[in-house]
Amino acid sequence: MNDFRPPADHARCCGPRREFLADVGLGFTGLALGAMLHRDGVAAEGTGDPHGKVRVVPDGRPHHVPRAKNVIWIFLSGGYSQMETWDPKPALNKYADKTYEQTPLPNPLKDPLFELRSRDVIGGARPHAKIFPMQVGFRRYGELGIGMTDWWPELATCVDDMAFVRSMYTTDNDHNAEFQMHHGRHKLDPPEPVLGSWIHYGLGTGNENLPSFVFLGKYKDTRVRWNFDANYLGPAHSGVELSLDPGDPLPFGRRRPGVLAAEQRNQFDFINRLNRLTAVEYPEDADVRARIKSYELAYRMQKSVPEAVNLAGETAATQKLYGIDNKTTSVYGRRLLAARRLAERGVRYSLVYLSDYGEWDSHNKLQELHARSCARVDRPIAGLLKDLKQRGLWDDTLVVCCTEFGRTPGLEVRDTKQKFTGRDHHPHGFTVWLAGAGVKRGVIHGRTDELGFHAIEHPHYVTDLHATVLHLLGLDSRRLEIPGRKRLDVDYGRPITEIMT
Amino acid sequence: MTAVSGSSLSAAGPVDYMKRIKPILAAHCFACHGALKQENGLRLDTGVLARKGGESGPAVVPRQPDKSLLLERLQTDDISLRMPPEGKGQALKPEQIRLLVEWIRQGAVSPEGETPQADPKSHWAFRAPARQPVPVAEESHNRIDDYIAAGLQKRGVNRLPEAPGETLLRRVYLDLVGVPPTMVEQAEFAADTAPGAYERVVDRLLENPRYGERWGRHWMDVWRYSDWYGRRKVPDSLNSYGQIWRWRDWIIHSVNDDKSYDRMIVEMLAADEVAGDDDENLVATGFIIRNFYRWNYNTWLKDNIEHTGKAFLGLTFNCCHCHDHKYDPLTQVDYFRMRATFEPIEVRHDRVAGDADPGVYPKYKYGKPYKPLTVGMVRICDEKLDAKTFVYSKGESRNIIPGRPPIAPGGPGFLGGADWNVKPVQLPPRAWYPGLKDFVRQESRQAVQKELAEKRGVLAFARRLVSEAQAELISANGSEPARRKLEQIRLTLVVDETNLQAAVLKVAAVEARIHADDVRYLGHPGDADQVARQAVRIEHEAKVATARVEVARARRAVVAAEAALAGKATDAKLKAAVTAAKKMLVTTGAAVTTSETSLKKAITSGATNYTLFSHQYARTSTGRRTALARWIASRDNPLTARVAVNHIWGRHFGRAIVASTENFGNNGDRPTHPGLLDWLAVEFMERGWRMKPIHRLIVTSRTYRTTSRTGSTDHPNLARDPDNISLWRFSPSRMEAEVVRDSMLKISGSLDGRIGGREIPQPQGLTTPRRSVYFDHHGEGRMSFLDLFDAADPCDCYRRTRSVRPQQALALVNSELALRQGRLLAGRLVVTPMDDPAFVDAAFRQVLARRPSSAERAASFEFLARQADVFSGAKPSELAVDPKQVTVAPATDPAQRARESLVQALFSHTDFLTIR
Repeated sequence: MNDFRPPADHARCCGPRREFLADVGLGFTGLALGAMLHRDGVAAEGTGDPHGKVRVVPDGRPHHVPRAKNVIWIFLSGGYSQMETWDPKPALNKYADKTYEQTPLPNPLKDPLFELRSRDVIGGARPHAKIFPMQVGFRRYGELGIGMTDWWPELATCVDDMAFVRSMYTTDNDHNAEFQMHHGRHKLDPPEPVLGSWIHYGLGTGNENLPSFVFLGKYKDTRVRWNFDANYLGPAHSGVELSLDPGDPLPFGRRRPGVLAAEQRNQFDFINRLNRLTAVEYPEDADVRARIKSYELAYRMQKSVPEAVNLAGETAATQKLYGIDNKTTSVYGRRLLAARRLAERGVRYSLVYLSDYGEWDSHNKLQELHARSCARVDRPIAGLLKDLKQRGLWDDTLVVCCTEFGRTPGLEVRDTKQKFTGRDHHPHGFTVWLAGAGVKRGVIHGRTDELGFHAIEHPHYVTDLHATVLHLLGLDSRRLEIPGRKRLDVDYGRPITEIMT
Repeated sequence: MTAVSGSSLSAAGPVDYMKRIKPILAAHCFACHGALKQENGLRLDTGVLARKGGESGPAVVPRQPDKSLLLERLQTDDISLRMPPEGKGQALKPEQIRLLVEWIRQGAVSPEGETPQADPKSHWAFRAPARQPVPVAEESHNRIDDYIAAGLQKRGVNRLPEAPGETLLRRVYLDLVGVPPTMVEQAEFAADTAPGAYERVVDRLLENPRYGERWGRHWMDVWRYSDWYGRRKVPDSLNSYGQIWRWRDWIIHSVNDDKSYDRMIVEMLAADEVAGDDDENLVATGFIIRNFYRWNYNTWLKDNIEHTGKAFLGLTFNCCHCHDHKYDPLTQVDYFRMRATFEPIEVRHDRVAGDADPGVYPKYKYGKPYKPLTVGMVRICDEKLDAKTFVYSKGESRNIIPGRPPIAPGGPGFLGGADWNVKPVQLPPRAWYPGLKDFVRQESRQAVQKELAEKRGVLAFARRLVSEAQAELISANGSEPARRKLEQIRLTLVVDETNLQAAVLKVAAVEARIHADDVRYLGHPGDADQVARQAVRIEHEAKVATARVEVARARRAVVAAEAALAGKATDAKLKAAVTAAKKMLVTTGAAVTTSETSLKKAITSGATNYTLFSHQYARTSTGRRTALARWIASRDNPLTARVAVNHIWGRHFGRAIVASTENFGNNGDRPTHPGLLDWLAVEFMERGWRMKPIHRLIVTSRTYRTTSRTGSTDHPNLARDPDNISLWRFSPSRMEAEVVRDSMLKISGSLDGRIGGREIPQPQGLTTPRRSVYFDHHGEGRMSFLDLFDAADPCDCYRRTRSVRPQQALALVNSELALRQGRLLAGRLVVTPMDDPAFVDAAFRQVLARRPSSAERAASFEFLARQADVFSGAKPSELAVDPKQVTVAPATDPAQRARESLVQALFSHTDFLTIR
């Protein structure tokens, strides 16, 4: 502990300029410095471009007129069955228990698309020859008579506001497809930044007091974080995980026990004052100015973030709309209501993880598991759509609901003796839907074959969905890249203009 | 391309070839029709060459679009003829075609003297580095300054003066050891007024073990260090591997020992072949293990190729997975040669002294999770010695091209990688049979010796009991209970005697096996078969003896059961016990007979298969990776030394000479100081590839010692070279994540200096005062405190980013780390009573390594007073803390607590986070 013996004091010579500026001109409340801070913005990064090349850093302005201001991206993990949700297939009942060969339909396993649209991470064929009938009934709803299964009583009332894309496909037949859904790359290829990170990179923040890319959800498997990882764009563009506990809404976002409010306020003021003195000393150092601003923001975030996710101020009627009054739906309703509050406050992209990791993965007992999971989210999602409409947020907010892949038309087969009653992973065709800003109401786009196996009409790889979201936000995916990182054609995707207003 | 897109053709204006035509051809055609390749003899990289054409005639005929083959091939409906060929490039847009037509119609004009694309093989990085002459500059400390001075002159900027001593001291501490100087170290430096004081500090820091941790972490970025991950929650280790931390420790020790870089490369790629029985260095192959992916070996091989290329050579092999490189003379065949080099690999577990045997590496079974290894070491070996490598297309291993012969191991042909002399390596016995290692024998001996000693002790005790029981029997006049007790104890004595016999034989068996191993594998004199037979025999005898122990136990159990039954003959339970005990006696007796039969059989058959001390692996290795390593770590390789010194330079200055540190190819960044890079590369090799001399050269250069402060935004240099490319000043930068955390711990006197060991769980990061490098760091998540400060991406970190974000402020103000260390430091600073001015001075010096200005002092006094007011005015309930939640409680004295608050605030000071 010898290191802590203070040495004899030496008088230090300090230029009079520094004190003068700090105390009189550019001090604590100095206007000139304040203006400088404003101009630089907090997003300014210290070392600039690592490549030393001229870099077209987005200036936060969209590439074209945006149709949407913000996005609520609902993700249901594990792979929901397209046929038991939003792409019902009566042919499954007709050909139940037959093999693909025994039907008059072409065998989907022999279609060249089968090889083309799947790439195994681990080798091994997964047989599922016998057709498994639909595990739930369905009806046609709305003006167009859009088919939806009986597990969506609430959402069925919203069908005239939704745009279904029934022809999605991906290429991984295992759960890494979840991360692929968010960054666009197969497990065996290096990941790209996720959609939310590109949005943050392209548009910056919509509310300085809140993070712009937010993750809402709970998980035990830490790989879920890959869904909001900016990868090579750098952690500044990664999603910020918010908790719905107003006492502890974001990492380090709260005074620690034993620290008084006044103590901390004084501390922030003091830090600010010292940093401003340094800013006078180093006028050429943009980092100092960025840091001063970021501390001010940080102080405000301690208030603004808990306020944004605090649902106590919402009326009982609103809470009921989201199913918060009900034990089964409460946790999911709370996440979506928080997402709406964040959208209102300018958060650009909320990734709402509306299930546990892998919850929808129904290899067995599909009927039981899907019925359970649908019941958890039906009311909250419908509530969100209705709430957006009633609050006039419909034209600002885009809602996307998706999963990582579909499920096989055939019955799951395992080499065990146990009889399975579910469906296996299925990258070849699945359904997502969109609603809200810039999206047509009550339409179906794309089609799978009669069994729901292959996406055959208007097939869309997952990055098309990304391009669609970016397009609605006013961004052109092809203009989002940084030097030294090669993006492939497939990474950019193509906006699904057919479903846009 | 912006010149073209969206433009409509104005009929009138002439089409500017350089602005509008050449960019189209460059983007779509040059890769196959330029300097890199000349498909069909055609080059399109100048107008003249386009007009000249290739084997099919002129590609462009001025004023005659209809006769220009170029247009025909771009527009044909025949997919087999249309350019660019499918999968090799994007089709041209109609407006681009229209531009080409118009250009040709106007006469296909191109400037005279247009230079063709340079031969990609003549690219600067592919030529051997050489020292280029440069005049000695004024105020030059070493040659570095001369090269820098030349650049300054070219840009017309003046070098700033040297940084003040205190700034320089902090800079070099943070740079070399990753923690700042304490007050005492600052005072020592200030007191050393003799010439060379700074150089002496540098020498000391380079010998400080903290240096290996700091620079080891840099190299861990480049070599992509990652602890195991995959499905950690399960847990299922898919990527990297448990126990890989031994490689991390190897890196830190190697850097501290200043092991030569060329040797480090050889060990990381092929220690198993060049030092197969060298336990200390085998773990270097963690470089290859880190890329391991249990689910897919293609991915493992792919990552090895990509990251070997990027880390050591600055070559982007990954581009050649599917096609020949678009910019560099690397071919798809080169890629598969690299793959063949790695093709035979497999993971191997080895035992280490003091750890349990981890067992043999388990092959993957579909669907089965694999817990991470927690004992022993993990290293690479060649298993598939005759593995063949076949070229596949489209980056998809299913598409093996039929009929194409396998590819031989090698590297890039244009750098001599096609003619490696790959020779199989005969491994030393201890490499393929680790059971021969001294520690294994010693631990085996210790185990049986320990058992023997125990059995001896037990026997002695039993003998004492017998004599006591005898005495008891006499004094009890031969009573029945005393007689029975003696009988029981005697039977126990028999058990213990048999046990001793077995233990003696076990010791003998271990010795016999060791002796047999010596003769068989280590060339000791003796008849190999005879000693093996001897070992077999003693092992069997030990087994017989062990079986006899069970008989003795069973016999004792029978007597005990019968004794219990005596007098209670009708008790069914006790009767059953007697029957069971008798049955056991028969069973154990049979086991003795069986083992005796085995013994006899072994003797008569002359069996030599005694139990080995470990698994035996292949006795040879393919030597492929050795060839790769030697080719990389060679003075003849133009890239290796350049890439290494470029990394070193970049981590000292915040910007590398070649900014794209992992890409030195034609599409990489140009060096800002090519002469300097070459000089450093040559110097590095001539100084035996040792890093410390290079560090010393760099940090003692005048360039490094320059101040970072301009003091004004009007400085003329800022206009001429705003990005400080020419290094007219030292670029200030934010501390890396680890430095932030480690510095707080060091400053407050809490840093635990232990080096190495198993990775520490991330959640302990805020409370366990070990250096950040020792915490769990993997592809599934980083410690959140470090992550906020841009910790290394364990999958890709050839460079670090440095952001400024509000969450960083929150992490500093609200983390347990800052609060706790602030309290500790405030307490440690006031070991002797001091007034506020002295305290403020000490706190600034300890945290910021400088004294406060008078304005800062004034602000601090005001702050101390204000905080003390807050604390004295607060209710006791507000000040009370739960000791379970807050392990280091704030001071109860308001003045002291204000001081704690001041220290905590200084951790948030921009001057703390900034290296100036």
